[in-house]
Amino acid sequence: MELIIFYVFSSILVLSAIMMITVKNPVMAAFYLVLSFFATAPIWLLLEAEFLAVTLVLVYVGAVMVLFLFVVMMLDINIATLRKGFVKMLPIGVAAALTMLMSMIMVFNSGYFSIEKYAVPERHSADYNNTAELGQILYTEYLLHFEVAAVILLVAIIAAITLTHRRRANTKHQDIDKQVRVKSSERLKIVEVKAEKRK
Amino acid sequence: MLTDINLVLPEIFLLVMISIILIIDLFLKDESRGATYVLSIVTLITTAFLVINNSPETTQLAFHKSFVVDPMSVILKSVSLLVVAAVFIYSRDYLVDRNFYKGEFFTLSLFGVLGMMLMISSANFLTLYLGLELMSLTMYAMVAMQRDSDIAAEAAMKYFVLGAIASGMLLYGMSIIFGVANSLNLAEINQAISVSENRLALSFGLVFIILGIAFKLGAVPFHMWMPDVYDGSPTAITTYIATAPKIAAFVMLYRVMVEGMSGMMVDWQSILIILSVASMFIGNIIAIAQSNIKRLFAYSTISHVGFILMGVITGTDNGYSASMFYTISYVLMSLAGFGIILLMSRAGFEANNIEDYSGMNQKSPWFAFIMLITLFSMAGVPPMLGFWAKVSVLQEAVNAGLVWFAVAGVAASIIGAYYYLRVVKVLYFDKPKDDTPIQASMDMRLLLSANGISMLALGIFPTSLLALCVDAI
Amino acid sequence: MISLSHFLVLGAVLFSISIAGIIINRKNVILLLMCVELMLLAVNMNFVAFSYFLGNAVGQVFVFFILTVAAAEAAIGLAILVVLFRNKRTINVEDLDALKG
Repeated sequence: MELIIFYVFSSILVLSAIMMITVKNPVMAAFYLVLSFFATAPIWLLLEAEFLAVTLVLVYVGAVMVLFLFVVMMLDINIATLRKGFVKMLPIGVAAALTMLMSMIMVFNSGYFSIEKYAVPERHSADYNNTAELGQILYTEYLLHFEVAAVILLVAIIAAITLTHRRRANTKHQDIDKQVRVKSSERLKIVEVKAEKRK
Repeated sequence: MLTDINLVLPEIFLLVMISIILIIDLFLKDESRGATYVLSIVTLITTAFLVINNSPETTQLAFHKSFVVDPMSVILKSVSLLVVAAVFIYSRDYLVDRNFYKGEFFTLSLFGVLGMMLMISSANFLTLYLGLELMSLTMYAMVAMQRDSDIAAEAAMKYFVLGAIASGMLLYGMSIIFGVANSLNLAEINQAISVSENRLALSFGLVFIILGIAFKLGAVPFHMWMPDVYDGSPTAITTYIATAPKIAAFVMLYRVMVEGMSGMMVDWQSILIILSVASMFIGNIIAIAQSNIKRLFAYSTISHVGFILMGVITGTDNGYSASMFYTISYVLMSLAGFGIILLMSRAGFEANNIEDYSGMNQKSPWFAFIMLITLFSMAGVPPMLGFWAKVSVLQEAVNAGLVWFAVAGVAASIIGAYYYLRVVKVLYFDKPKDDTPIQASMDMRLLLSANGISMLALGIFPTSLLALCVDAI
Repeated sequence: MISLSHFLVLGAVLFSISIAGIIINRKNVILLLMCVELMLLAVNMNFVAFSYFLGNAVGQVFVFFILTVAAAEAAIGLAILVVLFRNKRTINVEDLDALKG
């Protein structure tokens, strides 16, 4: 049963990953990447990493990929020029990937990672709480790292604002403060005009 | 727990100060930006003081053995902190002239320093990775910070994409090592490696880790980003990238290879030796063809990285201290070299081409002399600091029985001497193109002079710094 | 039975696909960024699998941090991309040729 689940989702994952790198449109590529994340989550559930499976969907699909899609759509990208050289590079890419894959499979199927060396652990009981277990480690052993991760996110905020924030000179927003403080003398000017004399 | 906090006190102080600077800077007008500048420098110097003052006599581990404070970390952290303070002083006029004197420059640089400090103190893959990313992310952003510059944005994009791929490789290697060793702690990994039978997977992971580290160091064949990033980013930021982060990259190499994987020394030696020879030669040969001085320094850095690798490859404690000595010397030289570029640049003029330096001797004999010391030191001419750095590394290579390797190093530095001397010729024997005098503030003049003289002084009396490095390992 | 090798090979396949993607999409920066995300997914797959089979939750902690850092990385990468696009009106790598030497 587990094996079937594994094969179903991993084939979706691999297919969508291949589609991602080959489709023409960057928006479609982003959606295929979203699909790969969705297919990964059940595989991680099989590995009893519930918290991460949920985080992957919430943070990755919910935030990071939305950011990607936002940028892709904001920038008006000319797809045709981006496709130049695609066909030429295809054989090289496939060849490189296949040789790499062959050597990797050789390493991972060498028997050192077999069931005898890494026995399948017993499933936890139904009341096992993965989130609690992770939190237990995260806030004790990895406290320092947790704080550093917060600093990294702060850096990302500062960097993103520094790089993209533009102060526009001609925006037409209201400044309530100024509007309230305004005095009649600033708005109203009484001009004395001499009456025109009739001849 | 209290001792743990005590050991990370400098880092905590730095972080608190960055946050304060970040908030204060919000309320500052552009005219009073000097407050951010002064505060940043005071922070760096105080942190360096805390690092030295807080140093334990023996190696201490904190936070469940993920953070280490040892003599090496104390020296390298204080050097990095002071070097970044010098970078700030050197770049102030440059930044003001280019309407670039912004609080973000200082806060991002300080965050980068925090990342370097974490890397220097890492005893665990996770600390190393987070420190590395903190440092790299700030650097990517800083390269792109001059937003109206085409080439800066291009350099940042190249740097970012290649850097992210390198991080991915590094992580893949770490994941395999974790799977075999069942730990992220470098000391425990080292123990597990010495008893593990799964050499195939281990060496597979090792290759990926070396790929990642070689990229961060800028060793051939992962050096392509360096000339573009050095050339494309504003000189103030190049100065930052070319100095302190190299210390962190050296520590990363040392911690992972020596403290984490000394059980696989034979494997990493054979890979690194190829990278080292290639870096020494390719860096020096391509440098000959450069007419842009920032690119020239980039290729010269690549060849220096080859020498830093050489010390680590020897696999002996003396070799490691020679590498550490070389790294510190390199950072001092690089700081002075880019300091001169910043000195020669002025509003609306980037002194990026070698011919911009022609006849510098007639404009300012003193700073031409400082540049001469720097170039001689980089080339390894006695009695400069760079000479002793090269000698100590080469000597350790010979002691370790790698005579041909040392000979290759000597050959590469002879090739290198050519292009350094070419710049010296331009400085002294060419006619100046214009007669604009050099303008610089007093603090920059003093510090740059001290920086130059230190290379001569440490070259004449190298024993104290060498002894410090020997004690640190 | 599912063994560790299943997951490792799956990770290896994803990693290879991302490498192939980087090679064939060299011209398109946004695709390159997506390929990096895919590469990190392969790494995470390895960590989660090892974590389960070793009974060591530290692997999952590492993945937690990789996810955090990757989110920060994506934000900065896309910000740089926006700066680049504003300057050059293109994200085609071929047009990035101001720096050579």
